[in-house]
Amino acid sequence: MAAFGSGAFGALPRSGPAERVAISGGGLCGWLAACLLARHLPHLRIVVHPASADEETRPDRSLGVPLAAEVLLPGDLEHIAAAGLRGGDLIRHCRGSFMLGTALTGWRAAGGPAFVPFGEIGAPLGPVPFHQIVAAARARGHDVNMANYALGALCAQTGRFAPPRSDDASVLSTLSFGLAVESDALRRLLRDDALAHGVQHGEAVADPASLCAAADLVIDARGAPEAWSENGGEQGGEDWSALMPFDRALVAKRAEPGTPPPPPPPYAHLSALAEGWQGFVPLAGAMTETLVFAAAAPPAEVTGALPEAHRLAPGRSAAAWQGAIVRMGAAAQQHDPVAGLQLHLALADVVRLIALFPANADCAVEAAEYNRQWRERSDCAFDYTVLRLARNGAKGAVWDRLRAAALPHRTAYRHDLYAANGRIALHDGEVFETPGWVMQFEALGIRPRRPDALAMTVPDMAITAHFEAIRKAMLAGVAKLPPHGAVLAEVCA
Amino acid sequence: MANSALAAAEGGHPGAGEGAQAPVGSVVIVGGGTAGWMTAAALANRLAGLPVTITLVESDEIGTVGVGEATVPHIRFFNARLGIDEADFMRRTNATFKLGIEFVNWGRKGDSYIHPFGAHGEPIEGVAFHHIWARYRRAGGTEPIEAFSLPVLAARENRFAHPAPDPASLLSTYSYAYQFDAALYAAYLRSYAEKRGVRRIEGRVIAVDQDGESGQVRRLTLDDGREIGGELFVDCSGFRGLLIEQTLKTGYADWSHWLPCNRAVAVPCASAGPLSPYTRATALDAGWQWRIPLQHRTGNGHVYCSSYISDEAAAETLLARLDGAPQAEPRFLRFLTGKRHRQWNRNVVAIGLSAGFLEPLESTSIHLIQLGIGFLMDLFPTREWDPMLAREYNRLMDLEYERVRDFLILHYHATERADTPFWNYVRTMRVPDSLAERMTAFRERGIVVNYRDGMFLDASWVAVYAGQGIVPRRSDPRAEGLSDAGLFIKLASLREDYARMAGELPQQARFLEMIGARMDMRAPEGVA
Repeated sequence: MAAFGSGAFGALPRSGPAERVAISGGGLCGWLAACLLARHLPHLRIVVHPASADEETRPDRSLGVPLAAEVLLPGDLEHIAAAGLRGGDLIRHCRGSFMLGTALTGWRAAGGPAFVPFGEIGAPLGPVPFHQIVAAARARGHDVNMANYALGALCAQTGRFAPPRSDDASVLSTLSFGLAVESDALRRLLRDDALAHGVQHGEAVADPASLCAAADLVIDARGAPEAWSENGGEQGGEDWSALMPFDRALVAKRAEPGTPPPPPPPYAHLSALAEGWQGFVPLAGAMTETLVFAAAAPPAEVTGALPEAHRLAPGRSAAAWQGAIVRMGAAAQQHDPVAGLQLHLALADVVRLIALFPANADCAVEAAEYNRQWRERSDCAFDYTVLRLARNGAKGAVWDRLRAAALPHRTAYRHDLYAANGRIALHDGEVFETPGWVMQFEALGIRPRRPDALAMTVPDMAITAHFEAIRKAMLAGVAKLPPHGAVLAEVCA
Repeated sequence: MANSALAAAEGGHPGAGEGAQAPVGSVVIVGGGTAGWMTAAALANRLAGLPVTITLVESDEIGTVGVGEATVPHIRFFNARLGIDEADFMRRTNATFKLGIEFVNWGRKGDSYIHPFGAHGEPIEGVAFHHIWARYRRAGGTEPIEAFSLPVLAARENRFAHPAPDPASLLSTYSYAYQFDAALYAAYLRSYAEKRGVRRIEGRVIAVDQDGESGQVRRLTLDDGREIGGELFVDCSGFRGLLIEQTLKTGYADWSHWLPCNRAVAVPCASAGPLSPYTRATALDAGWQWRIPLQHRTGNGHVYCSSYISDEAAAETLLARLDGAPQAEPRFLRFLTGKRHRQWNRNVVAIGLSAGFLEPLESTSIHLIQLGIGFLMDLFPTREWDPMLAREYNRLMDLEYERVRDFLILHYHATERADTPFWNYVRTMRVPDSLAERMTAFRERGIVVNYRDGMFLDASWVAVYAGQGIVPRRSDPRAEGLSDAGLFIKLASLREDYARMAGELPQQARFLEMIGARMDMRAPEGVA
């Protein structure tokens, strides 16, 4: 742990509750922090300082790659609601579209596209988890598509979806969903809300350390530094480019043709290319697109667009909170956005700061705990992202090199354990629980070498009956749902 | 339950796998105490559909330790999975209900607090209750945190009823466990396991054969010359670790510098007074005393450190402090706190005292057995013996042991006691960094460091911190913003609600009768 309150980061000037918060960077990350802090901790006096006078005209790199659309995971929506923001407002003002998961094309060597849904898959049979039942069925020669037993995947296939009602006791109550939102519209929504809750605009300031004189706590939300090892002179920053080798991203948004435009599909789409990957996140009336690759070996079709590409520098700093400065979002860490976690990680930072907000100028204890939790979440996001990039079946030289690369111990362990017997090793700070990991491994073409012994105790007939019962209940539930587009239209009406 | 339906399913073992892919076909459990019979019963239940033979070798000559007569709530899931009826099980093991543990003289002489199976208070505007309570104390409030706990208030008056299923009810704010006769519990599970095909062999192991190449245990030789071969061996032989240590030389991590107690003396005595639904742990000069009330008697013991007190003095101290007449000669035990470096080594899995020892201050012994069994089921080996299974088993068990260890150390270290050399040692010793950081976080800011795995959740840590005199120096700023007047009114009304609800619960003895769990005093001990 770095020394706290050291000269480099500025000791807090006085004792007593921290009340003056200065936020450096008026991008999505900065306004997200401002809005949620103002709503949860109304005693704070918060000022948002742009990182430069022309910040408004520059791409917003505060979360990492300036994606045209960001995704809120199912758990994130609870944090948004807890702050008093309404999901309906996000849909209305940010061209919001419900998200049930991600379709992956080209990530496994054989077997076609895969769907990674949010939420549970199937149901356990007694003490045996569903994915182990599937492994047993496959060991007995049955061909099972796990996504057929995920409600989110069935909704995505049929284009039907509505948020479950709280009094619904049917299978639909297990439906887990996120939300895709237009990044810039979300930034404006959060900014307006923050201003309405007393947050103030400040002058442009290039160096957050200079804000320490007039604030008790400073949030650095300016986005990733040029290089992690030279981040403000700190030691111990990590460069992740060996396992996240893509360093360029092109982003685009285009309006969907038609009047009215077709309803957005309730899922994202991710294709592995020979030189990188391409992602599509739908919004109401628009489709956003991201193309990620290495500058050294770009796809032929983008060579002309290279100068427009945004830089991507995966890595993280040694500690997010040092002295009186808390680095949030991409200022603290940047992952390849292939797992769609940019907004999630920044929101987790803000929620964590609210829970640990210093009651006193001496905030070493809060900082230590914040950094511990931040690192755990960061490690888990790293593992999830790196396994998607380096243990897939995609075709291309860059993928071959990634598959040959050595993984950090914990990352490799997760893969090796699942490959051995389908167990998921979960750690503190997970973004995804067991189903999320299982479906990712499925989508990458990784299957357990042998099923769980307990699963093999289940007779074939019982498995078949279990599969049928789940499928029947799910299809009946989905049939009752309205088309996704109709629900969005209703929210916006 | 679905699993009993599976167990009942007929029709062989379709596609259970061939050769190396097949689960191991024979399990040999060495030792028939609580660990051995819990393992046998759980395996017999959960492997019912597999072609596995389960054999348990035990010798009547070798006594069992009968670890932990007090349990934690997880035991109910273990019993439920076996399909055990609560009232029947309680009658046959002379069991009582348990709402928590009372700690006497730990933080300071004269202190008493109960660590309940349940949370204190309720969050106010999203802020955890202990922040609110700390703020209330700093504003001059005098109530201890346990005044805001239904199970504590009920326990103090010897009252008990099952928790309510309705989450809106205050009666849903607690859980419960049992206090039972561990020897009778083992006998109960033995009868269960034998009915389900577990073969019990009486005999003493005098030789162990290993495979020359892999080092795996292949065969046991008994004192009468019989040989017992097996594929998976579960070592439930107790402290000595017949297979895991004496045969495989696995090695042991010694934690006695943090938990220096290394002996215990135990004696049952006659019951006196109403049946209390809690265990009591009273800190003494060089260790502590347990008191576990069962239906027919009270279990007592003195856990101590031999560097600070002699065996004779320890026994005398215990005998002088019994509620009723002693019912047996005092029995002495020796142990070394710590854990086996690898609880799963080659084809041997150590469960129970052979895996490690953590003193029963928080009734963790049976829970650690239960965890070991659960992980073994989840990671049940095939004949290829994939090394990932043992690695994951050891990773998970190491985490559990280390986290229980830290929680136990907290009880000794968070003290003001300076009245004996023993307390001076534990109060001033250097504790593991993992614990030091946690204690600082709570003391300074009321942060309860949370984790995914590990049996003790936030509420338990708060109970012990607060019970042993650690009031956070500052709270969540949202709690700081509350007005004194509002705070006192809110807490007074909460306290009244808890006290009223607790007062409405029946006495435990009455409740045992109501549900038909009262032991039949005329029946002989043992299982029919």
